[in-house]
Amino acid sequence: MIKKQVINEICLKNKNAIIVSANGFISRELFESFDKPDNFYMIGSMGLASSIGLGIAMKLPKRKIFIFDGDGNVLMNLGTLVTIGFLKPKNLIHFIFDNNSHESTGGQPTMTSKIQLEKIGKVTNYKTFKVKTLKELKELLIKIKNISGPILIVIKINKNGTVSKRVKYKPEEIRERFINSIRVM
Amino acid sequence: MKEIDQIKLFDFLLKHKVENFIGVPDSTMKHFINKGLKLKKIIISTREEEAIGIATGMTLSGSKSLVFMQNAGFGNSISTITSLVQMYKIPLIFLIGWRGYLSSDAPEHLLLGKIQPDILKLLGIKTKILNSKNWKKSAQWALKHTDNGNMCALIIRREFHD
Repeated sequence: MIKKQVINEICLKNKNAIIVSANGFISRELFESFDKPDNFYMIGSMGLASSIGLGIAMKLPKRKIFIFDGDGNVLMNLGTLVTIGFLKPKNLIHFIFDNNSHESTGGQPTMTSKIQLEKIGKVTNYKTFKVKTLKELKELLIKIKNISGPILIVIKINKNGTVSKRVKYKPEEIRERFINSIRVM
Repeated sequence: MKEIDQIKLFDFLLKHKVENFIGVPDSTMKHFINKGLKLKKIIISTREEEAIGIATGMTLSGSKSLVFMQNAGFGNSISTITSLVQMYKIPLIFLIGWRGYLSSDAPEHLLLGKIQPDILKLLGIKTKILNSKNWKKSAQWALKHTDNGNMCALIIRREFHD
Protein backbone atom coordinates (compact mmCIF):
# COMPACT_ATOMS: atom_id res chain seq x y z
CA MET A 1 0.00 0.00 0.00
CA ILE A 2 1.13 3.52 -0.68
CA LYS A 3 -0.07 6.74 0.91
CA LYS A 4 -2.09 7.86 -2.12
CA GLN A 5 -4.17 4.67 -2.12
CA VAL A 6 -4.81 4.99 1.59
CA ILE A 7 -5.82 8.64 1.38
CA ASN A 8 -8.17 7.91 -1.53
CA GLU A 9 -9.78 5.02 0.28
CA ILE A 10 -10.38 7.03 3.46
CA CYS A 11 -11.49 10.25 1.80
CA LEU A 12 -13.86 8.82 -0.81
CA LYS A 13 -15.91 7.18 1.91
CA ASN A 14 -15.77 10.00 4.45
CA LYS A 15 -16.41 13.16 2.50
CA ASN A 16 -17.85 15.02 5.48
CA ALA A 17 -14.92 14.53 7.83
CA ILE A 18 -12.78 17.48 8.82
CA ILE A 19 -9.16 16.54 8.14
CA VAL A 20 -6.06 17.95 9.80
CA SER A 21 -3.04 16.73 7.87
CA ALA A 22 0.56 16.66 9.07
CA ASN A 23 3.25 18.73 7.38
CA GLY A 24 5.37 17.32 4.59
CA PHE A 25 4.25 14.79 2.01
CA ILE A 26 1.03 13.93 3.84
CA SER A 27 -0.48 17.39 3.36
CA ARG A 28 0.81 17.52 -0.20
CA GLU A 29 -0.70 14.15 -1.02
CA LEU A 30 -4.06 15.05 0.50
CA PHE A 31 -4.11 18.37 -1.33
CA GLU A 32 -3.34 16.72 -4.67
CA SER A 33 -5.81 13.85 -4.29
CA PHE A 34 -8.66 15.23 -2.28
CA ASP A 35 -8.63 18.97 -1.71
CA LYS A 36 -11.60 20.45 0.13
CA PRO A 37 -12.10 23.61 2.23
CA ASP A 38 -12.33 21.83 5.55
CA ASN A 39 -8.92 20.23 5.17
CA PHE A 40 -6.47 22.00 7.44
CA TYR A 41 -3.08 21.56 5.80
CA MET A 42 -0.14 21.87 8.13
CA ILE A 43 2.91 23.52 6.73
CA GLY A 44 5.65 23.42 9.32
CA SER A 45 5.00 22.79 13.03
CA MET A 46 5.94 19.15 12.78
CA GLY A 47 4.07 16.92 15.21
CA LEU A 48 1.22 19.27 15.95
CA ALA A 49 -1.51 17.95 13.61
CA SER A 50 -2.79 15.78 16.46
CA SER A 51 -2.90 18.71 18.90
CA ILE A 52 -4.78 20.92 16.44
CA GLY A 53 -7.16 18.05 15.64
CA LEU A 54 -7.79 17.59 19.34
CA GLY A 55 -8.68 21.27 19.77
CA ILE A 56 -11.11 21.12 16.85
CA ALA A 57 -12.65 17.83 18.02
CA MET A 58 -13.40 19.28 21.44
CA LYS A 59 -15.10 22.34 20.03
CA LEU A 60 -17.03 20.68 17.20
CA PRO A 61 -18.36 17.52 18.88
CA LYS A 62 -20.93 16.88 16.15
CA ARG A 63 -18.33 16.67 13.39
CA LYS A 64 -15.99 13.77 12.67
CA ILE A 65 -12.37 14.89 12.98
CA PHE A 66 -9.69 12.92 11.15
CA ILE A 67 -6.01 13.45 11.86
CA PHE A 68 -3.65 12.35 9.09
CA ASP A 69 -0.36 11.84 10.88
CA GLY A 70 2.96 10.24 9.99
CA ASP A 71 5.21 8.06 12.11
CA GLY A 72 7.90 10.74 12.23
CA ASN A 73 5.31 13.35 13.10
CA VAL A 74 3.65 11.38 15.89
CA LEU A 75 7.01 10.49 17.44
CA MET A 76 7.77 14.19 17.74
CA ASN A 77 4.69 14.80 19.84
CA LEU A 78 3.82 11.62 21.72
CA GLY A 79 2.58 13.81 24.55
CA THR A 80 -0.60 14.62 22.67
CA LEU A 81 -1.55 10.93 22.64
CA VAL A 82 -1.65 11.20 26.42
CA THR A 83 -3.75 14.36 26.29
CA ILE A 84 -6.15 12.85 23.74
CA GLY A 85 -6.48 9.70 25.85
CA PHE A 86 -7.16 11.83 28.92
CA LEU A 87 -9.76 14.09 27.29
CA LYS A 88 -11.32 11.28 25.21
CA PRO A 89 -13.02 13.11 22.33
CA LYS A 90 -15.51 10.64 20.85
CA ASN A 91 -15.38 12.20 17.40
CA LEU A 92 -11.61 11.95 16.86
CA ILE A 93 -9.99 9.40 14.57
CA HIS A 94 -6.22 9.48 14.43
CA PHE A 95 -4.67 7.84 11.35
CA ILE A 96 -0.95 7.22 11.32
CA PHE A 97 0.60 6.48 7.93
CA ASP A 98 3.56 4.47 9.10
CA ASN A 99 6.34 3.90 6.57
CA ASN A 100 9.12 3.69 9.18
CA SER A 101 10.67 6.76 7.71
CA HIS A 102 10.91 10.51 7.46
CA GLU A 103 9.98 10.40 3.81
CA SER A 104 9.66 14.17 3.31
CA THR A 105 13.26 14.78 4.34
CA GLY A 106 14.79 12.02 2.23
CA GLY A 107 13.62 8.74 3.74
CA GLN A 108 15.71 8.61 6.89
CA PRO A 109 14.58 5.86 9.29
CA THR A 110 12.25 6.41 12.25
CA MET A 111 12.11 4.10 15.24
CA THR A 112 8.72 2.56 14.45
CA SER A 113 10.46 -0.46 12.89
CA LYS A 114 11.05 -1.65 16.46
CA ILE A 115 8.53 0.32 18.51
CA GLN A 116 4.87 -0.41 17.83
CA LEU A 117 2.75 2.70 17.83
CA GLU A 118 -0.46 0.72 18.37
CA LYS A 119 0.85 -0.39 21.76
CA ILE A 120 1.40 3.22 22.74
CA GLY A 121 -2.15 3.93 21.52
CA LYS A 122 -3.56 1.22 23.75
CA VAL A 123 -2.02 2.51 26.97
CA THR A 124 -3.17 6.03 26.16
CA ASN A 125 -6.85 5.02 26.05
CA TYR A 126 -7.39 4.90 22.30
CA LYS A 127 -9.33 2.14 20.62
CA THR A 128 -6.48 0.91 18.52
CA PHE A 129 -6.23 -0.86 15.16
CA LYS A 130 -3.48 -1.75 12.75
CA VAL A 131 -3.86 -2.57 9.07
CA LYS A 132 -1.40 -3.75 6.47
CA THR A 133 -3.52 -4.20 3.33
CA LEU A 134 -6.11 -2.21 1.44
CA LYS A 135 -8.65 -4.93 2.10
CA GLU A 136 -8.10 -4.68 5.85
CA LEU A 137 -8.38 -0.91 5.66
CA LYS A 138 -11.68 -1.10 3.73
CA GLU A 139 -13.17 -3.45 6.30
CA LEU A 140 -11.95 -1.37 9.20
CA LEU A 141 -13.38 1.85 7.79
CA ILE A 142 -16.82 0.22 7.84
CA LYS A 143 -16.32 -1.26 11.29
CA ILE A 144 -15.31 1.98 12.99
CA LYS A 145 -18.48 3.78 11.92
CA ASN A 146 -20.17 2.29 14.98
CA ILE A 147 -17.30 2.81 17.41
CA SER A 148 -16.83 5.96 19.43
CA GLY A 149 -13.40 7.55 19.68
CA PRO A 150 -10.72 8.33 20.27
CA ILE A 151 -9.62 5.78 17.68
CA LEU A 152 -6.06 5.20 16.53
CA ILE A 153 -5.42 3.46 13.24
CA VAL A 154 -1.86 2.56 12.34
CA ILE A 155 -1.60 1.94 8.61
CA LYS A 156 1.60 0.27 7.49
CA ILE A 157 2.56 1.67 4.10
CA ASN A 158 5.47 1.59 1.70
CA LYS A 159 7.41 4.63 0.69
CA ASN A 160 5.80 6.36 -2.28
CA GLY A 161 8.68 7.09 -4.54
CA THR A 162 6.69 9.98 -6.01
CA VAL A 163 6.36 13.53 -4.75
CA SER A 164 3.05 15.36 -4.86
CA LYS A 165 2.81 19.05 -5.60
CA ARG A 166 2.91 21.59 -2.82
CA VAL A 167 -0.30 23.00 -1.33
CA LYS A 168 -1.12 25.96 -3.54
CA TYR A 169 -2.89 27.97 -0.86
CA LYS A 170 -1.06 30.41 1.36
CA PRO A 171 -1.29 29.66 5.09
CA GLU A 172 -3.76 32.47 5.70
CA GLU A 173 -5.94 31.17 2.85
CA ILE A 174 -5.88 27.68 4.35
CA ARG A 175 -7.09 29.21 7.61
CA GLU A 176 -9.79 31.36 6.00
CA ARG A 177 -11.35 28.66 3.86
CA PHE A 178 -11.28 26.28 6.79
CA ILE A 179 -13.03 28.75 9.13
CA ASN A 180 -15.61 29.67 6.49
CA SER A 181 -16.38 26.06 5.62
CA ILE A 182 -17.00 24.94 9.18
CA ARG A 183 -19.21 27.97 9.81
CA VAL A 184 -21.53 26.92 7.00
CA MET A 185 -22.06 23.44 8.40
CA MET B 1 1.38 40.12 40.51
CA LYS B 2 -0.67 39.64 43.69
CA GLU B 3 -3.00 36.70 44.22
CA ILE B 4 -6.13 38.83 44.12
CA ASP B 5 -5.12 40.49 40.84
CA GLN B 6 -4.33 37.14 39.20
CA ILE B 7 -7.79 35.90 40.16
CA LYS B 8 -9.41 39.09 38.89
CA LEU B 9 -7.50 38.76 35.63
CA PHE B 10 -8.84 35.25 35.12
CA ASP B 11 -12.41 36.30 35.88
CA PHE B 12 -12.11 39.28 33.58
CA LEU B 13 -10.88 37.25 30.61
CA LEU B 14 -13.52 34.57 31.17
CA LYS B 15 -16.24 37.20 31.33
CA HIS B 16 -14.98 38.61 28.04
CA LYS B 17 -15.46 35.36 26.17
CA VAL B 18 -12.05 33.73 26.46
CA GLU B 19 -13.34 30.18 26.63
CA ASN B 20 -10.19 28.05 26.76
CA PHE B 21 -7.08 28.30 28.92
CA ILE B 22 -4.43 25.78 27.90
CA GLY B 23 -0.83 25.50 28.96
CA VAL B 24 1.93 24.23 31.20
CA PRO B 25 1.84 25.49 34.80
CA ASP B 26 4.13 28.16 36.20
CA SER B 27 4.31 29.09 39.88
CA THR B 28 4.56 32.76 38.91
CA MET B 29 0.90 32.65 37.84
CA LYS B 30 -0.34 29.85 40.07
CA HIS B 31 -3.31 31.82 41.42
CA PHE B 32 -4.51 32.50 37.89
CA ILE B 33 -4.25 28.81 37.05
CA ASN B 34 -5.81 27.65 40.32
CA LYS B 35 -8.82 29.87 39.74
CA GLY B 36 -9.26 28.32 36.31
CA LEU B 37 -8.86 24.81 37.66
CA LYS B 38 -11.60 25.46 40.22
CA LEU B 39 -13.92 26.50 37.40
CA LYS B 40 -12.83 23.52 35.25
CA LYS B 41 -11.71 25.87 32.50
CA ILE B 42 -8.06 24.80 32.33
CA ILE B 43 -6.39 22.16 30.18
CA ILE B 44 -2.88 21.25 31.31
CA SER B 45 -0.90 20.02 28.31
CA THR B 46 2.31 17.99 28.21
CA ARG B 47 4.35 20.70 26.50
CA GLU B 48 3.89 24.30 25.48
CA GLU B 49 3.91 23.59 21.74
CA GLU B 50 1.08 21.16 22.26
CA ALA B 51 -0.89 23.79 24.17
CA ILE B 52 -0.47 26.16 21.22
CA GLY B 53 -1.67 23.43 18.84
CA ILE B 54 -4.79 22.66 20.89
CA ALA B 55 -5.56 26.37 21.30
CA THR B 56 -5.13 26.82 17.55
CA GLY B 57 -7.67 24.07 16.85
CA MET B 58 -10.13 25.63 19.25
CA THR B 59 -9.62 29.10 17.82
CA LEU B 60 -10.15 27.80 14.27
CA SER B 61 -13.42 26.35 15.56
CA GLY B 62 -14.54 29.80 16.68
CA SER B 63 -13.65 29.61 20.38
CA LYS B 64 -11.34 32.25 21.85
CA SER B 65 -8.28 30.79 23.57
CA LEU B 66 -5.36 31.70 25.79
CA VAL B 67 -2.14 29.74 26.24
CA PHE B 68 -0.09 30.05 29.42
CA MET B 69 3.49 29.04 30.08
CA GLN B 70 6.71 29.93 31.84
CA ASN B 71 9.34 31.68 29.74
CA ALA B 72 11.35 28.42 29.68
CA GLY B 73 8.39 27.00 27.75
CA PHE B 74 8.22 30.10 25.62
CA GLY B 75 11.76 29.24 24.59
CA ASN B 76 10.52 25.79 23.56
CA SER B 77 7.74 27.32 21.51
CA ILE B 78 9.51 29.73 19.21
CA SER B 79 9.29 27.61 16.07
CA THR B 80 5.62 26.88 16.71
CA ILE B 81 4.95 30.58 17.18
CA THR B 82 6.64 31.53 13.91
CA SER B 83 5.46 28.63 11.72
CA LEU B 84 1.97 28.17 13.11
CA VAL B 85 0.62 31.13 15.10
CA GLN B 86 2.25 33.90 13.10
CA MET B 87 2.30 32.19 9.70
CA TYR B 88 -1.41 31.25 9.75
CA LYS B 89 -2.26 34.36 11.78
CA ILE B 90 -4.01 32.64 14.68
CA PRO B 91 -5.29 35.22 17.19
CA LEU B 92 -4.11 33.72 20.48
CA ILE B 93 -3.39 35.46 23.77
CA PHE B 94 -0.16 34.25 25.37
CA LEU B 95 0.32 34.60 29.12
CA ILE B 96 4.01 34.14 29.89
CA GLY B 97 5.66 34.00 33.31
CA TRP B 98 8.92 35.91 33.40
CA ARG B 99 11.44 33.96 35.46
CA GLY B 100 14.84 35.55 35.64
CA TYR B 101 13.30 39.01 35.89
CA LEU B 102 15.11 39.33 39.20
CA SER B 103 18.84 38.83 38.68
CA SER B 104 18.83 36.79 41.90
CA ASP B 105 16.40 34.16 40.51
CA ALA B 106 17.36 30.46 40.17
CA PRO B 107 20.32 29.93 37.80
CA GLU B 108 18.41 28.06 35.08
CA HIS B 109 16.26 31.13 34.47
CA LEU B 110 18.90 33.82 34.32
CA LEU B 111 20.01 33.79 30.69
CA LEU B 112 16.59 33.38 29.12
CA GLY B 113 15.12 35.83 31.63
CA LYS B 114 17.67 38.42 30.61
CA ILE B 115 17.09 38.14 26.86
CA GLN B 116 13.32 37.55 26.97
CA PRO B 117 12.30 41.14 26.08
CA ASP B 118 14.69 41.04 23.12
CA ILE B 119 13.34 37.70 21.88
CA LEU B 120 9.76 38.99 22.02
CA LYS B 121 10.84 42.08 20.14
CA LEU B 122 12.74 40.10 17.49
CA LEU B 123 9.69 37.92 16.92
CA GLY B 124 7.56 41.02 16.54
CA ILE B 125 5.17 39.97 19.28
CA LYS B 126 3.16 42.82 20.77
CA THR B 127 3.54 42.64 24.55
CA LYS B 128 2.30 44.20 27.78
CA ILE B 129 3.91 43.59 31.16
CA LEU B 130 1.22 43.19 33.80
CA ASN B 131 1.11 44.82 37.22
CA SER B 132 -1.54 45.52 39.83
CA LYS B 133 -2.45 48.83 38.25
CA ASN B 134 -2.53 48.06 34.56
CA TRP B 135 -3.82 44.46 34.38
CA LYS B 136 -7.37 45.36 33.32
CA LYS B 137 -6.27 47.81 30.69
CA SER B 138 -3.70 45.31 29.41
CA ALA B 139 -6.30 42.54 29.25
CA GLN B 140 -8.61 44.83 27.27
CA TRP B 141 -5.72 45.61 24.95
CA ALA B 142 -5.10 41.88 24.43
CA LEU B 143 -8.77 41.18 23.72
CA LYS B 144 -8.88 43.97 21.18
CA HIS B 145 -5.73 42.65 19.55
CA THR B 146 -7.16 39.17 19.12
CA ASP B 147 -10.49 40.57 17.91
CA ASN B 148 -8.48 42.18 15.13
CA GLY B 149 -6.97 38.80 14.26
CA ASN B 150 -3.56 39.19 15.86
CA MET B 151 -1.68 37.30 18.54
CA CYS B 152 -0.18 39.10 21.52
CA ALA B 153 1.47 38.36 24.86
CA LEU B 154 0.84 39.36 28.46
CA ILE B 155 3.82 38.96 30.77
CA ILE B 156 3.74 38.25 34.51
CA ARG B 157 7.01 39.03 36.26
CA ARG B 158 8.43 36.79 38.97
CA GLU B 159 8.97 39.25 41.80
CA PHE B 160 9.56 36.82 44.69
CA HIS B 161 11.71 33.86 45.67
CA ASP B 162 10.58 30.59 47.18
